[in-house]
Amino acid sequence: MNDLSVRKFYAWFTMLGLLVGVLVVIGYYRDEYREWKNYQHKYIQEEIRRASTPQQLALAKQIPVQIRQILLPDLNRVDRCTTCHLAVEDPSYGGYPQPLAYHPLHEQHPFDRFGCTICHRGQGRATTDADAHGNVPHWDQPMLPLQYIQASCGQCHEAADNPAAPELARGQQVFEDSGCRGCHKLNGIGGVVGPELDKVGARRSPEWLKKHFLAPASVTPGSAMPPQKFSETNLEAIILFMLSQTGESAPGYYASMKVIPSASEGQRLFQQKGCIGCHSIGGQGGKIGPALDDVGLRRPVEWMMQHFRDPQAVTPGTVMPRFGFTETEARALTDFLMHLRDQKVALSLPSLMSPGERGREVFRKYGCAGCHGADGKGGVPNPNAKTAEQVPGLIYVADGYTKDELKKRILNGQREITALDPKRPPPPLFMAAWAGIIKDSELDDLVAYLFSLKPKEENPGF
Amino acid sequence: MNTPLPKRIWQWFTRTRVGRSIFRIGLPESNLERSQVMVSSFLLHVQPAKVNRHSLRASYSLGLGLISLYLFLILIVTGVLLMFYYVPSTEKAYDIMKDLQYVVSAGLVIRNMHRWAAHLMVLFVLLHMCRVYYTGAYKRPREFNWMIGVGLFLLTLGLSFTGYLLPWDQLAFWAITVGTNIAGYAPVIGLKIKYLLLGGNVVGQEALTRFYALHVIVLPAAALLMVAVHLWRVRKDGGLSRPDEPGDIVQQVELKQLPTNKTYGLMELARGTTPQVGQNPEDEVFSWPHLVFRELLLFLLVAAVVLFLSIFWNAPLEELANPIHPPNPAKAPWYFLGLQELVSYSAFWGGVVVPGLLVTALMLLPYLDRQRQGVGRWFARERVVANTIFTVCLLTAIVLTIIGTLFRGPNWGWVVPWEQPPAITEGH
Repeated sequence: MNDLSVRKFYAWFTMLGLLVGVLVVIGYYRDEYREWKNYQHKYIQEEIRRASTPQQLALAKQIPVQIRQILLPDLNRVDRCTTCHLAVEDPSYGGYPQPLAYHPLHEQHPFDRFGCTICHRGQGRATTDADAHGNVPHWDQPMLPLQYIQASCGQCHEAADNPAAPELARGQQVFEDSGCRGCHKLNGIGGVVGPELDKVGARRSPEWLKKHFLAPASVTPGSAMPPQKFSETNLEAIILFMLSQTGESAPGYYASMKVIPSASEGQRLFQQKGCIGCHSIGGQGGKIGPALDDVGLRRPVEWMMQHFRDPQAVTPGTVMPRFGFTETEARALTDFLMHLRDQKVALSLPSLMSPGERGREVFRKYGCAGCHGADGKGGVPNPNAKTAEQVPGLIYVADGYTKDELKKRILNGQREITALDPKRPPPPLFMAAWAGIIKDSELDDLVAYLFSLKPKEENPGF
Repeated sequence: MNTPLPKRIWQWFTRTRVGRSIFRIGLPESNLERSQVMVSSFLLHVQPAKVNRHSLRASYSLGLGLISLYLFLILIVTGVLLMFYYVPSTEKAYDIMKDLQYVVSAGLVIRNMHRWAAHLMVLFVLLHMCRVYYTGAYKRPREFNWMIGVGLFLLTLGLSFTGYLLPWDQLAFWAITVGTNIAGYAPVIGLKIKYLLLGGNVVGQEALTRFYALHVIVLPAAALLMVAVHLWRVRKDGGLSRPDEPGDIVQQVELKQLPTNKTYGLMELARGTTPQVGQNPEDEVFSWPHLVFRELLLFLLVAAVVLFLSIFWNAPLEELANPIHPPNPAKAPWYFLGLQELVSYSAFWGGVVVPGLLVTALMLLPYLDRQRQGVGRWFARERVVANTIFTVCLLTAIVLTIIGTLFRGPNWGWVVPWEQPPAITEGH
């Protein structure tokens, strides 16, 4: 090899070596200079600016620039939001612009146990503005707009029990009243005409849901769902309720925190645990234990709590067993009993209702009204169905069916609906088969209710 | 002439006691030392002391095999770095991908390098195979090395495919679901193979565990071993192929022809082709620096390209794998999309017969094509039939892959990539 070609080699080595070196430097720079560090420097500068004593100044200067994160293994989350939102727990930052704003402390939801994304969504692991707030491709949980924030309460808490989330409770009410379950299953209850809704809130955006309710076919071509006519408030409420259905499981510590002690929760517990077997309210119930209508006048709260924890402790020799209530349950039951003192409560005990009344509850529970109309009056469009292009009403079923025929009809459903015009697309809505979903006793009650729908005054005139 | 400073430092170091004990020769100054340095160093002794000028010609080999090797080395290094973080668990894998991106120093770049080098390796191994084909380099005495090469190509695909699952995102999950379904189309054993690969009937934790084990130990170990054999055969078969080589004459010397009533020195037993045998010494140059320097330069080039890609383009990462929400269409990795396109016409013919025949034909090629002419030259006129057949197969594969990649949309229907595809939503 002569000197000339060696020199050429060295020239190439130098060039390529420099190129690799420059690329390594660029790579290092891009890796080292991350967005969040800017926010941390700004925070530190602000802390230094505010420092009024040498000690405070020294402390401010010692604030490390580093990733901050809240580890939430039970919730399967790592929230790094506080890497940029450094002052969320410092009230003196109230009114600051983001990312340095203060977040009012939520007593029941301390940051170190709940993090941020369980309520606000977004991408907790991310450390850039765009990725963390989640409006990026391949992340289907962007931050929840604040107007829907109550949806997050419903991930863990029963909608109706949460005094802090009235919109959520309203949404659930709209959901149950509109008969959505006639086609959609939620938590195991509902029909099979439309998709299950158990995790709908985790994969649908508010915008999508709004379009879905107003014009279902616009987001799901060929959808069988009839457009819904909700008022503006009801529409927002049911969107909120849908967003709350994320399938989030909250195990361990969170499960024990789920129940919000409230009078209504207490009432449910009271009925569920069979208290009525021994005690009575409003004259209904057993006579073994004392009547409870005015127990709130006779006993203080602490006595009642102790009574639920360990009856023997406050009434030695009592026959009341230890039920092993959790603190929250005891609190809810106590609330309920104190509530009785102020207000008359009618227990809705199924055993005290008529089959027709129970059937009405079944009709509501499974969302029959969604297709068959309120009180079975019909009127829901089903294009190209032979029955006047509507889902048939149910008020005259007593004339067309025996009770057993009707039960069979409900259990087996009808997948193929006779078309008015065979050339047009078949009717989209059909009768779901409810076998395996509805209970036998519920079916009896439902049929009793449906038979009771026949208008009394319209007796056949012969 | 002025000696550059780095060279002077190096010369000083190799003359010290420590330096001499490590490097023995130091920077070679004479032809004798240029030979010695190649023989005395573990890393360099894989290569001959002198190399044919023809082998150095970039326009002949294009450096494709070496580029593949460098990509493989980059993959090993970045792969080990990724292993420091990765856990093959369906619960954790995806989160770790996110952590690599957001909190691990250089995590994203390393993952990008691994991903892009993997894609490039598939590409360059394929290109290397094409080069060997079009120069007729698989002919005697290199038949077996061609087979090893085909094996290495399949191993490369296997490595890339097993690695595809590990991020545990939608892309990974459904590509592997589609890919293993194709394997399931083979008659009799297809479903067994699929079950063996996945550790079940669907992609889940067992599949992830198996793919991980295959990806980080089984396949790399096999590939390393076969690369070693491949390189060893390159030397034993007389270096790179070139026109008019006389190697075969030596090849025919049979060991058993030697008389058995005496002992032999190693030199007498060694046989086969070496670059020196039968060569005009004027065709040869010393490997140091002519070969070694070129190789180093090529490495710098490969490293620069991979770094460049990895700094400015991120490896894809979609949503967390969700077995109940398949994307439409679900696509295999790009190098299997030609296969998937074929499968869309006929699962049996496209998924089993055609690829099976192709691999068999590739493996047996040197024994099927026994014509001796046209070695060592690109597109030799004597090989016009063979080259045409290969080109047609190659172009078909490329066209099918492009169709599968760009022109297939929902339900594997025809789409035109420059038009907006219709929004996909799940039907009621």
